[in-house]
Amino acid sequence: MHALWQRVASLAGSLGLSCSLLLLLGLLTWLGTLEQARSGLYEVQRKYFESFVLLHDLGPVSLPLPGANLVLSLLALNLIVGGMLRIAKRRSTVGVMIVHAGILLMLAAGFAKWRFSSDGQITLYEGQRAAHFEDPYRYELSIVEHRESGERLEYRVPQETLVPPRGAERVRLRGEGLPFVVEVAGYARNARVQRKGPRFEVAVPVLEGLFLQQLEPELAAERNIAGAYLKLLGTGSDEPPQAIVWGAQAQPWSFRSAGRSFSFDLRRERHAMPFAIELDDFAKLDHPGTALPASFTSDVTVHAAGSESALRISMNEPLRRDGLVVYQASWGPQGAGANARLFSTFAVVRNPADQWPLYSCIVITLGMLLHFGRKLRTALRLQAALR
Amino acid sequence: MKLAWRLLLLACAVWLCAPLLAAQQAARAPWTPRSIEAAGSLIVQEGGRLKPLSTLANFTLLRLSGRRSYTDAQGVRRGAVEFLLDVLYFPKQAAEAPVFLVNDSALLQTLELELPGKQKRDRYSFHELEPGLPRLFALAHDYGALDPKQRSSVQGELVLLAERVDAFLRLNRQESIALIPPDDGGSGEQAQTWLSPAFAFAALSRGETPSAARQRVFAALDAMANTRHEPRVFEARLEQLHEVLGGFAAVREASGSVELERFYYRINALGWSLGSFTIAFLVAAVGWIRPAWHWLHRSCVALCACGTLALVLAIVLRCLIRARPPVSTLYETVLFITAVGVIVALGLEWFNRQRLAASVAAFAGMLGLFIANGYETLDAKDTMPSLVAVLDTNFWLATHVTAITIGYSAGLLAALLGSVYVIAKALRLARVGPEQFRALGGMLYGVLCFGLIFSIVGTILGGIWANESWGRFWGWDPKENGALLIVISQLAILHGRLGGFLREAGVAVAAAAGGCVVAFSWWGVNLLGVGLHSYGFTSGIQSALSSYYGLQGGVVLLGLWAIRRDRRAARAVLAGPASGAAEPPRGRRAA
Repeated sequence: MHALWQRVASLAGSLGLSCSLLLLLGLLTWLGTLEQARSGLYEVQRKYFESFVLLHDLGPVSLPLPGANLVLSLLALNLIVGGMLRIAKRRSTVGVMIVHAGILLMLAAGFAKWRFSSDGQITLYEGQRAAHFEDPYRYELSIVEHRESGERLEYRVPQETLVPPRGAERVRLRGEGLPFVVEVAGYARNARVQRKGPRFEVAVPVLEGLFLQQLEPELAAERNIAGAYLKLLGTGSDEPPQAIVWGAQAQPWSFRSAGRSFSFDLRRERHAMPFAIELDDFAKLDHPGTALPASFTSDVTVHAAGSESALRISMNEPLRRDGLVVYQASWGPQGAGANARLFSTFAVVRNPADQWPLYSCIVITLGMLLHFGRKLRTALRLQAALR
Repeated sequence: MKLAWRLLLLACAVWLCAPLLAAQQAARAPWTPRSIEAAGSLIVQEGGRLKPLSTLANFTLLRLSGRRSYTDAQGVRRGAVEFLLDVLYFPKQAAEAPVFLVNDSALLQTLELELPGKQKRDRYSFHELEPGLPRLFALAHDYGALDPKQRSSVQGELVLLAERVDAFLRLNRQESIALIPPDDGGSGEQAQTWLSPAFAFAALSRGETPSAARQRVFAALDAMANTRHEPRVFEARLEQLHEVLGGFAAVREASGSVELERFYYRINALGWSLGSFTIAFLVAAVGWIRPAWHWLHRSCVALCACGTLALVLAIVLRCLIRARPPVSTLYETVLFITAVGVIVALGLEWFNRQRLAASVAAFAGMLGLFIANGYETLDAKDTMPSLVAVLDTNFWLATHVTAITIGYSAGLLAALLGSVYVIAKALRLARVGPEQFRALGGMLYGVLCFGLIFSIVGTILGGIWANESWGRFWGWDPKENGALLIVISQLAILHGRLGGFLREAGVAVAAAAGGCVVAFSWWGVNLLGVGLHSYGFTSGIQSALSSYYGLQGGVVLLGLWAIRRDRRAARAVLAGPASGAAEPPRGRRAA
């Protein structure tokens, strides 16, 4: 048993495994990079870099490959066993162990980001305020009961729940306190609401002259606009109420049942913030005589419980507060004229490992300087002796 | 007062129409050297920055003709500033100048032009192209709407020619020469924006009242237009324009960096550097044929040192002109990578004095500057442009960009050293003995370690910058992936060496293959057309890149063949009676 364990540990910490995993990671990175021109970053990221196994399309055949999650996990194991535990503990290997510790910290930062972070965007015109940020890639169905007292009771259904399981065509949602069952059919990641014309037929329901046209997902996944058909079952009416909900709808769908008022909104997934941001002033400065942006600056007021503070967020100078980091990310509308009203877009990130890469960079640099500095000194001495 | 305004308006109109009037003139006196000098040193705003008119003229002519000078109908070689003055004041002569480069004469058939006596790749005058212009612009409108990757070579060439002709016409209409400075004491965007004569005239036509200072500029420009047939008087008027412009605070503020830029282009340090490295390479080549002539080696090192000094001087001047760290554009990466490569190679030469590193330094310097020159000609755009907001940060340009570029440089130098090793090994060059191979192996290992430090640190710093700017450390963007690939390849080589999977020759072969990884990261990912770093695309780069991949692929195959051959030979020796010449058995090396 001991011998078997020794063999397993020896294999897990071997340089052969290190090289194999590095080459596999290199192959995945290369294939994933080339694939981006065809499938877009979001899809590639999920398929190659956030997976444990994948099938790479080679035309007539598919090549099974381990995903980056699996390769990086094995690499971390290999690093701990071979590069930290089993490595000969000598003065000459101190630098190597420090480098390995730094790389482990980097991998841990990546894991923490993948598992525990959330990010999204806030888009504001001057004078607008937001206390939440939106995930540009994910949608959710928000069902709100508006009570006469003014109270709002919200049910939020995540994107995964809206997608029917394999073989099924629809999903039924039941909520405690909801006087009906919500049936979601034809959920599409990317869709447009179209008017049904007299000269063509469609295979999907047409509601008030409109239907939901399913589209191919965009390469830039943030451009996808989700859509679905909703049907309310158990409302007592002969014909169950139906509606199209769509990510770009101006107003949610409203419905009254037995004196109770509900609204249904398919929107980008929202994450609450512990403070609200109000955009006071947005300035975009171009390089003179060109349309090349020289700087974007947003003057904002941060409203927190009982306090207000005026701050400036600009490119490369984010706001860090309450575990969130708010960055100046973009502006729009693109191609707006000189006097057009502009909006400012902020990227918001909640990442417990925000500064870990910086720490790991320092550790790795120190380790490498120690190790390679030592090697250089030895080589110089040897060369001097040869002369 | 109103009358005065009308007169001024009329004067400006006359001055703007001067080119048309001048078109009636059959000949003109050549510009005096002082006029050329004075015109070239005028300050203009273009692409969001202030620069000498000579820079604008040079890059415009480069964009039109692929050269910075041209030969006129009389066979006289003329510079870019002369060409620009001709376009402004003697457009008929400018229209006769063969400055429009057409790479494929099939384009002329598309334009239904018959111009006998020309070669497949040739230069044409505006006058020659004029009958085909309506068709040129109509077709360019259609082809311009196509994805550049979908265009045929003739379609691409046609769009390019339309852009060139448009640039010429804009120059002729004086739209692209913003030399009228903003008034002192202004604020906002207007206080930063310089006006071209055409736009200033448009403002006058709208009834806007210019400041007294700007009126003096108009008067000086008018006087120049009126005296264009008298070279000496024109020269004096040009001096007067300089005096008038000197009254603007914006001109005085910019004059330091603009003069420095004039100095930078005048001394042509990059040209001298290229010349030094080219001669050094030739000297090194002769030195390998005649190893006993030690003075050749010393000359090679001295020439390389001169070339390096000139290159470093050029980089430092560019930093001073733009007040930026050494690398902020793709063009500057070429200069910086070359400089770091030759400095490291010369350092290696000083370290082991085997003549190999000096020869590599000469070749790397020559090749790097040829690439820089070629890219500048292909791209034909200002190599010191304004930067977009996110790049405009000297801290990250100085740290991340510099570090990652040093990593590129070390990777390419390692690939070069590896290729030299492989070729020498495969061809069994008599001049490269076991000592030289050992030295090459040592150098290769040192350069890989050096490169790994900068590649890792540069890549992580890039992530930290992205975290500061966009809130994510790593986004699997193609450029980030390219940097990661370099790190992975260098780590794999060093771990393979440590584990005994790669011996000296194996490391050399792997390092040669690593050159492809660096080239993919440096140029290849930019050509994918996706991600945050999709810039610097220029037709012609893809074929150069493919050639490099092919070349390095050939070296790798050669290396694998040589390793197999030598292993067989070693086995044969071991099997024979006199063993002892074989390589040591595989095994784990000391960390």
